[in-house]
Amino acid sequence: MSPQYTVHATPEARDAGAVDLAVASLPASFGPAEAGSAADGSAAAGSAADVAVLPGQPGWTAEAARAIDGGARGIVVVNPAPESVSDLLEAAETNGSAVVLDQRWASNPAVPGAEDAVRAMAGRAAVLDSVATAPAGTGSGELLADHLAAVVRLTGHLENLRVVASGAHGYTVSGRLANGAPAALQGVLSSARPAGVSISMLTDDGGVSVTLPDPLAAWPATVKATGPQGELLLPTLYESAHRATWRRLKEHLDAGTSPSDLHRFAALTASLSALS
Amino acid sequence: MTANHAVERTLGVGILGAGPVTQAIHLPSLARLRNLLTVRHIMDVDAAVAESVAARVGATHSTSIEALLGDPEVDVVAICSPHQFHAEQVIAACRAGKKAVLCEKPFVWNAEEAAEISAVSQETGVPIIVGAMHTFDPGWLAAEANWGDLPETAHTIRSSIVLPPNARFEDFATEIITRPASGTPDYTDAEVIKGMLRGGIMGLAIHDLPLVRRFTPDFALVEVLEARIVRPFGYIISLRTPTRTIELRAAMNNTWKPEWSFEAFSNDAAVRIDFTPSYVQAGSATATFSRAGETTVHGPFDHNGYEGEWRELTALAAGAKQPPSAQNLIDDLTFALDIAEATVAAVDADHNVGQPVREGAHA
Repeated sequence: MSPQYTVHATPEARDAGAVDLAVASLPASFGPAEAGSAADGSAAAGSAADVAVLPGQPGWTAEAARAIDGGARGIVVVNPAPESVSDLLEAAETNGSAVVLDQRWASNPAVPGAEDAVRAMAGRAAVLDSVATAPAGTGSGELLADHLAAVVRLTGHLENLRVVASGAHGYTVSGRLANGAPAALQGVLSSARPAGVSISMLTDDGGVSVTLPDPLAAWPATVKATGPQGELLLPTLYESAHRATWRRLKEHLDAGTSPSDLHRFAALTASLSALS
Repeated sequence: MTANHAVERTLGVGILGAGPVTQAIHLPSLARLRNLLTVRHIMDVDAAVAESVAARVGATHSTSIEALLGDPEVDVVAICSPHQFHAEQVIAACRAGKKAVLCEKPFVWNAEEAAEISAVSQETGVPIIVGAMHTFDPGWLAAEANWGDLPETAHTIRSSIVLPPNARFEDFATEIITRPASGTPDYTDAEVIKGMLRGGIMGLAIHDLPLVRRFTPDFALVEVLEARIVRPFGYIISLRTPTRTIELRAAMNNTWKPEWSFEAFSNDAAVRIDFTPSYVQAGSATATFSRAGETTVHGPFDHNGYEGEWRELTALAAGAKQPPSAQNLIDDLTFALDIAEATVAAVDADHNVGQPVREGAHA
């Protein structure tokens, strides 16, 4: 049986997004554009593929727009760097292409459930405290972009964002939730632990705690909602952010719908610009 | 009284102040140490409280410090009175020739008093320890034995405290009498905000500031970057020194789920210490070290830091251990005071209450 959608990935995207594994784990839906691997980098393969996979280095929006012009119905961007997406949005809407972003934490499959849990309590939030860790040597700005993407995915827009401190070992950013409760985002650069992010929102009588792992493996995130009656652990999902991104893409391609990824990313980019 | 005669070789304990901390923390801890210590005298300015609490343990009771310090049955003294009385009571206990003194935190309220106490301790030879219980927790001590050079190499330190109201855990520990009344603060009042931050640092953060200081060699250069309150009671405080980032978090709300952690990170190692709640006899903290793909866990052990304090006091009274350096106690105190004062000063400097204080308020 032939896969439903053919895939072409640049070598950089193939590595960064673990594309071979993701595609191989969805064999009925995706397959390489030509016999061989999903990462066939030839121009012929790229022009023939249904889905183009790009690394999110600066300039990715122009690359994605070119891929759409070339006929790609779906675009996967791995670890997108903050930049304006307005032209790409227009190209995607004009051509009916689906652009999904594969973000290390924000794309974790546990995020929708975590978002529901957080939004259900956000009006009563007393504080939000989040810590992201990444290996020593990682750029603070790079970590903050991933960190903020994950947090605002759950909380929505944070107001009054301000860099309290930033340096070679991390950063502290302060802000406010919509109800005025204080929010604090701390980045720690250390190779001691696996990279990941924890997000804790407390209310007067409970709260939500979320941990999101890196997509290097299908480690499950944890989402716990705590209230007066006890604590609920949402079902653990042994699926990486990479694979969850591909599943979302398939759903949009099948249904002909447009993902909200670029709209969300535009808001994130605006927040990051205000911080820098 | 029969029980006391049966354990005559144990050290006699006198306690100044019989409020919730004495009732819910120290008496249950001492109940686990009957082979070492016996409560012989309880003093409280409220005669009914003194009598009631003393009756629980078959001890003598009084309403005056002189009566307790003059009681020959009392070998060691615990000072659990309001902090403004600590200095004079610690000094009096030393001058009374007791074998050792445990003073609840905050030790005193200024460095001058701390220095005066240290001088009296040296003069009289009476060892003093401050009830920073986490520094006596076997989980912390296990971490200390295994942390290698982490205090020198750490660049980031976090203290995070989420607690229900004290009453929840007090009620697990004992049946409290004389619980202080509480009200709803006016969050629009700058003095209330300052009071909350000061109280948060000297009443809550102070539990772990000695731990933070242990990982902060340049603690004297601490600077407050931002301080905000968390309702109904808590704080978000960002500090830094030339070599360290320090983040303090606390929230006291109505949750049943406590979390009390201390973390320190270097480029290649980290430790996280999860403490058990105060008041309950839930054993020690657990220390978890992470070093690039390797995780090692120490604990939990069967007793907490409060019991650890009493064990330490017993050893000091017996001359089996060396007392902590006076400078150490003074440094712990001045570190906390510096942070509290700089935080309050920063709020003063920021006339817009409710907004973060301005960066660069030096302690």
